[in-house]
Amino acid sequence: MGISTPTGVGGTEQPAGARASAGALDAPELKVRVRAPGEPRRVAYLYLAPALLFYLIFAFGPLIYTTWLSFFQWDGITVGKWVGLDNYDRVLSDPAIRSSFVHSLVLIVFYALVPCALGLFLASVMAHSRIRGVGFFRAVLFLPQTIATVVVAIAWVWIYGQNGPINQGLRAIGLGGLTRSWLGDFDLALPAVGLIGTWVMFGLCMVLFVAGIQKIPQTLYEAARVDGAGRLREFFAVTLPALRGELAVALTLTTILALRTFDLVYVATSGGPGSTTTVPSFLVYQNAFANGRVGLAASVAVVLTVLIFAVAFVITRIVDRDPTQ
Amino acid sequence: MTKRWLSAAVAAALAIGVAACGGTPGQDKPKTTQQGDAQAQQVKTDGFDKLGPVTLRVVSSEGSGGPRIAVRELTKQFEAKYPNVTVKVSFRAFSSWIKQVKLEMASDNPPDVAAGNQGYQVDGELVKAGLIMPLDKYAKAYGWEKSFSDLALQQFKWSSDGTQFGTGSIYGVAQSGQSVGVFANKAKLEAAGVDPASLKTFDDFDKALPKIKASVPASEPVIMLGNKEQYPVIHLWGTLQGVYSPAQEVRDWIFHRPGQSFDNDGNKQSLEKLKAWNDAGYFGRGDDYNGRAELDAANLFARGKGAFMLGGNWNAQTVVDGLKGDAMFFDMPPGPSGKAAAIGSASVPIHISAKTKQPDLAAAYIDFIAGRSASKALVDTTQVPAIVDPTAEPSAQFTREVAQGWQTLVDAGGLTLYPDWSSPTMLETMGQSFQELLADRASVQDVTKRIQDDWTAYDKELGGK
Repeated sequence: MGISTPTGVGGTEQPAGARASAGALDAPELKVRVRAPGEPRRVAYLYLAPALLFYLIFAFGPLIYTTWLSFFQWDGITVGKWVGLDNYDRVLSDPAIRSSFVHSLVLIVFYALVPCALGLFLASVMAHSRIRGVGFFRAVLFLPQTIATVVVAIAWVWIYGQNGPINQGLRAIGLGGLTRSWLGDFDLALPAVGLIGTWVMFGLCMVLFVAGIQKIPQTLYEAARVDGAGRLREFFAVTLPALRGELAVALTLTTILALRTFDLVYVATSGGPGSTTTVPSFLVYQNAFANGRVGLAASVAVVLTVLIFAVAFVITRIVDRDPTQ
Repeated sequence: MTKRWLSAAVAAALAIGVAACGGTPGQDKPKTTQQGDAQAQQVKTDGFDKLGPVTLRVVSSEGSGGPRIAVRELTKQFEAKYPNVTVKVSFRAFSSWIKQVKLEMASDNPPDVAAGNQGYQVDGELVKAGLIMPLDKYAKAYGWEKSFSDLALQQFKWSSDGTQFGTGSIYGVAQSGQSVGVFANKAKLEAAGVDPASLKTFDDFDKALPKIKASVPASEPVIMLGNKEQYPVIHLWGTLQGVYSPAQEVRDWIFHRPGQSFDNDGNKQSLEKLKAWNDAGYFGRGDDYNGRAELDAANLFARGKGAFMLGGNWNAQTVVDGLKGDAMFFDMPPGPSGKAAAIGSASVPIHISAKTKQPDLAAAYIDFIAGRSASKALVDTTQVPAIVDPTAEPSAQFTREVAQGWQTLVDAGGLTLYPDWSSPTMLETMGQSFQELLADRASVQDVTKRIQDDWTAYDKELGGK
């Protein structure tokens, strides 16, 4: 960071000088510790305290408690039994639990990768076209993001249903043989749930990217055009690198949502058919509240949390790093 | 310095966290003292009008259809009987309530009266945790031991540690008799040239299916099924299990009697039959019924889709509302043994919270909505009273058929209860593996093994306590 060094240096020197003159040549005065403006002071913790306390009690506390619970075999009401790492052993060895993690990796494709690609495409189209009422389209495309997920899921259950618009449409164009109850099909239920996620997420990605594109200096595009770049070249040479930050944010947000998705699955399929759409958070719910396996549920939750942290960390490392440095 | 502060903060956070843990979970809650133990046998069955204004909080899991109407009506009558008593009934959908009931009953302010569910998943845990009170003294006072059959009462009995099901104290009673049988659409059968009266044995029934299949449009199932919740196909299969397996054997397995196994010829034959019916296309396409909820299936059947529906008699009101005079109900015709057997039991038990301040009033309410006084309201909503000495008889033909279906099973000792009572995870295990069986993703052998493994694992847990 080229700019920060001069300010930093100036900052330390200036108050020192001021103090020295105020102290009227008293040499020891120079020992007074000086602080750059913006350098942390203890009093800052006082300002942070309310939020920090809130965070500790409502976010960090439950996390620790959940971890603690994960070492027990506990039905949720009677006294639990300490089982050490048994629950984790089960999380790693139980094929049903393992496959739920695989399902959420599949969902990442639908919740994160596809929406980001779609969002990039839409944003770059919108940024360069003069469409009347572009604001209106933007709002419409963003709309799914504003609807409660349960409502979204109920609407899509109907859309995917036996006599829903998709099947009716297929019948109308003579493809009646392809109709099915999409959420009831062993092979298609997971992608079908994933596509609902795509529908919800792409609006968010698009809005982020549109905002990002707007701050790219027009001169860069002009320069690219002078150099003879086409639309595609321009996208990869100017737009995409400039959107690095936004891409990191969008990918992180959508990936986290993919990994912890619950409401969509709960309402749309409840993990079925068979166990083809179970995801870890659904297993947490099922085990904690239906099956009386709170410890196991807690250990699934902890593993899920660790996974989310890891994935988010990797994304920010890879995408958010400026390659010029 | 920053680092030191950070580590101090982390240490503080950990301390908070560990403090919040408070050691072993569940330890801080002392086993609730069962109220009334002190004044045992001292039971008040009337005079509640002199209590002054009181409120009774009730959670019912009869979330829809006839059963809900009956609970509403009976509650209104109870309030009319005791004008000073307000009964606040909150209706919940059964499938979500069974996931909340343990938490709500464990809270500091639980409902006075609440529905549970037979089996280890719900009732066993509630008893084990001391959250509901034994009702033996009320059973004596209200004559429940006479009004309910032994088999019905057995479903409400638990050892006080919740490990033995089917023996011990009575922890609740239920309103209606619920059994799974055959709903038939008379018009469809006649169109296919099948005389319902000719279906005397399972073989007759089995042979009628291809005939009906030939007469209905290819897109329409012969047997209407909605299996989105994964349990309806268990119920359907239960009618087949009753054909091939003796009811007593099935119940022994559910109650974890020693030496039982799911892996036997009867169960395998019934699973093979289920698979064969599915492969013959009698249920329609797999993705169709897996995407359809039980209630949707009942509504479709009521609108004339499908010749049969093998489901619970709790759907009776829905079916008769749609099919009117074409609606029929009968038990699955018996197999070689000649004995009727199918999934069925009393409806969900109604419990009294161990923390209630009004146990006598709560018991009076339960007796009012489930005992003899409830008969008329139940019959009026096409239900079968669970008691053996009801005060009202059904008059409509269809309602009589539904009642007859239940009575035949009771008389033959053929109620096989619900297989998912056998462990806290059995509903999930069976639901998933049955769907996989029908979708060719698991063999009959895989399914029986998975189910028995689940049972064995829980059997060990029960034995270990």
